Amino acid sequence: MAATDIVGIAVTTIILGSIYGLVAIGMTLIYGTLRILDMSQGSMVMVGSFVGWGILVVAGLNPVIAIAAAFVATFILGALTQLVSVQPLMKRRNAIDFEMVTFITTFAVAMILTNVALELLGPQQRNVTPVISGGVNIYHGVNLPYQSMAMAIVSITMMAGLGIFLARTRWGMAIRAVAQDLDAARLMGVPVGKLYPLTMGLASALAGVAGVFLGGLYFAYPQAGDLPLLEALIVVIFGGLGSLPGTVYAAYAIGLIQATAEVLVGTTWSLPILYGVILFVLIIRPYGLLGKPSEARL
Amino acid sequence: MSQPMLQVAGLRAGYAEASVIRGLDLEVGAGEVVVLIGPNGHGKTTLLRAISGIIRPTAGQVLLGGQDVTGRPAERIAVLGLVHVPQGDGLFAEMTVAENLLMGAFPASSWRSRRKELAGIYERFPVVAARAAQRARTLSGGERRLVALGRALMRPSRIMLIDEPSLGLAPVAIDTVYEAIAELKASGATIVLVEENFTHIGGIADAVHVLETGTIVASGPYAELASDPAIVQTYLGSL
Amino acid sequence: MSALPNRTEPTPARPALTRTAPPRSAFPAMTPARWMVTGVLVALAAVIPLVMTNQYALSVMVTTLVLLVLNISWNFVLGVAGVWNFGQLAIYALGGYGAGIIMLHTSLSPWLAVLAGGVVAAFAAVLLAFPTLRLYGIYTSLLTFAFAEVIEYVIVNDGSGLTGGTFGLPIVKGLYASLSLAASARAYYWTVLAVVVVSTIVLAAVGHSRLGIALRGIRDAPAYAAARGVSPMRYRVIAFAVSGFLAGIAGGLYVSYNQSISPSAMGLTPMSIDVTMLVIGGLGTATGPIIGTVLLAIVQTALVSHPGAELTILGIFLLVVVVFVPDGLAGLAARYWRRVSTWAAEDDQSGEAAGQEVAGQEVAGQETGGQETAEPGAAAEIPEGSPDPNVA
Repeated sequence: MAATDIVGIAVTTIILGSIYGLVAIGMTLIYGTLRILDMSQGSMVMVGSFVGWGILVVAGLNPVIAIAAAFVATFILGALTQLVSVQPLMKRRNAIDFEMVTFITTFAVAMILTNVALELLGPQQRNVTPVISGGVNIYHGVNLPYQSMAMAIVSITMMAGLGIFLARTRWGMAIRAVAQDLDAARLMGVPVGKLYPLTMGLASALAGVAGVFLGGLYFAYPQAGDLPLLEALIVVIFGGLGSLPGTVYAAYAIGLIQATAEVLVGTTWSLPILYGVILFVLIIRPYGLLGKPSEARL
Repeated sequence: MSQPMLQVAGLRAGYAEASVIRGLDLEVGAGEVVVLIGPNGHGKTTLLRAISGIIRPTAGQVLLGGQDVTGRPAERIAVLGLVHVPQGDGLFAEMTVAENLLMGAFPASSWRSRRKELAGIYERFPVVAARAAQRARTLSGGERRLVALGRALMRPSRIMLIDEPSLGLAPVAIDTVYEAIAELKASGATIVLVEENFTHIGGIADAVHVLETGTIVASGPYAELASDPAIVQTYLGSL
Repeated sequence: MSALPNRTEPTPARPALTRTAPPRSAFPAMTPARWMVTGVLVALAAVIPLVMTNQYALSVMVTTLVLLVLNISWNFVLGVAGVWNFGQLAIYALGGYGAGIIMLHTSLSPWLAVLAGGVVAAFAAVLLAFPTLRLYGIYTSLLTFAFAEVIEYVIVNDGSGLTGGTFGLPIVKGLYASLSLAASARAYYWTVLAVVVVSTIVLAAVGHSRLGIALRGIRDAPAYAAARGVSPMRYRVIAFAVSGFLAGIAGGLYVSYNQSISPSAMGLTPMSIDVTMLVIGGLGTATGPIIGTVLLAIVQTALVSHPGAELTILGIFLLVVVVFVPDGLAGLAARYWRRVSTWAAEDDQSGEAAGQEVAGQEVAGQETGGQETAEPGAAAEIPEGSPDPNVA
């Protein structure tokens, strides 16, 4: 493997890992707090892409507005998703297979969002103006687009921001408390009825922001959320449900595997190779890379 | 005569079809320390959980300072001034001691004064102060119990429910914990304490109730119950 | 010295530790009246090709019926056995490709080819069953999905030309090559309808048999089932094998009718649609797949030019059904039927009416979809001491 390959892999790993991390971290946040797999996360990325398109291309406004608008729009959608597809089931959570049912209901929300977009906006792929265009040649022909760099920086910043939010703020601590011991948190007066939609809104907003950048790289179209959803699922399950650090590690690990596969077998088949790796890992380590999560920790 | 701080009437509660609490009445006056003793599995923890709102009573009434709080969710009852220290302390294992204490002041009204309260707790419980930056799960049983008590004091409360503070602790630790509880009593707190045996409650109990099979079967001042040979045999025997 | 007990007397019978259930029919929910209704419905369905002249509509129906066979098989493993199996489409495709390749490259009778497709699929399904045993619910979804993706990759990238890559198999003659177009369409219709009817009945019977009860026990109360000596491995392998075989048959029928098969038969979109059908119909019930598939066919035909609107409506339906009617439309129908029976029974005090009510309740109790409470009754009936080589 040439030196350019190695540099290329390192760069791709950082970029892919940051994208995966941003989308997956929302899923982990949701799993840790609500104990559900939110299948609508992917469609939040798609919504973000379209908001990006609307603000950057149609309205011609600047990227900061696009990011802010995507954040707000997907925050609201995420909170609504919780209220509509999860909250009604909370009462019955001990009587039903809660995880499977919410898997299906959040999946239904994803279906609705995707197909409303399809019906209203059509299937065509739309170009989203990159936040920053152009690129830089960093090492003998390894090109690094500024958009990807911006994406990685924004992702890392937001992941760090989430970490600070959880560690230092009142509601952040409340979210962690609910993840660790729901009853004890309620006894502290934490209003879980408000906390759950807040958490899902926040997680969806992260995905929405990711969507603005991904749109610049990969177009905005109704099915744009499918692949990010799969990738986020892989990262989250691989890295240990409910563990935020685990998710971040897994995101970069998956990025590394995919980057290496891309160099070895080409872009189109890197994903199936990834699936092969997952198949193998799950057979020998049934709880993913980091082993059994004793309890969700956030 | 002022209203009792806590009134429970005809309470029934339990899990699924099996009613653990079967028609229980209880009254706790302001500033009183009431102790409930009884064998394990007979409903002491369930009773506290039904009062604090973690589980919903299936029948009966719970009145806090005259206000009907029956069936309200735990988070609403908590902000009305009820503090429940659950069995096994209910600390957030992955959070530090300091974070746990801060969570005790979560309600908006108490959050503002959290730093001041935190300093107060550190002063009152130096052991807790020493461990402030450690994760709760690294503490010993006795230390955790103190943190749980400290956390319960982070916001003003009208009544405290404490579930088996001596559970699983070494005798020395139990002494420390009960010293703290005695301090609370001295400062006028209203407390409902649940314990499995008699050993430490003599100095603090204003009234003792025996809870068996989901109802109260005997009540009275400590001295009276402590001199009843049948009760002493059952509860002093189980250490 | 005490002598060993003299075994001249026959060993005393084992005391009845378990409540011995009275001998029951294979179909506790079915009464003579219901059998009649079912028979009428089947007859009506069978008559359709004779009266329908619209070839396009008929072809849509055949395709729907093939899909229905697949859904019936999927319902068994997903709903009754409760396994998060998202690889069923790949198994179905393997059956189709298997049958197609055999039809293309050998002179074996196409009927045998379809059966062989079923066997291939069953084999693949059993392979998949083993790793799923070690996995916790949602991890199984990822494993089975990864499995499906890998299969798709292998099929698409087959350099030897066997699978035809992305374009699929070349023209396969199928079961009724000798008939005219119209006649063969009718023949396929009746063939697939027969498969639907037989598989529904057989799987419904299995659902009420020891196997079905054991599967539900493993699904709802695994610790209890293990304590009763029910081996998850054995039953799961059987469940996968049965559902895999049926999915493979569906694949074989698909490849015969369409005269080809391509990788587009698998993938996220068809899978989402199928799962939606299953859940709306009612996971784990006998009639659920039928209701769900038929409903979908209606919605799809009505909105054929608006795929977005169609799937939006399906998504809303799915959400509403799961939140408000967890046992699906089949469960709703069963409860409605029970109410009607009770109302009818109020006029007739005979034991027959009481029997119908009990039967109705058993429908709700035992045919309830995967999201309902663990039925203590069902768990208690796990056959004790079934000859199980895995238990010491």
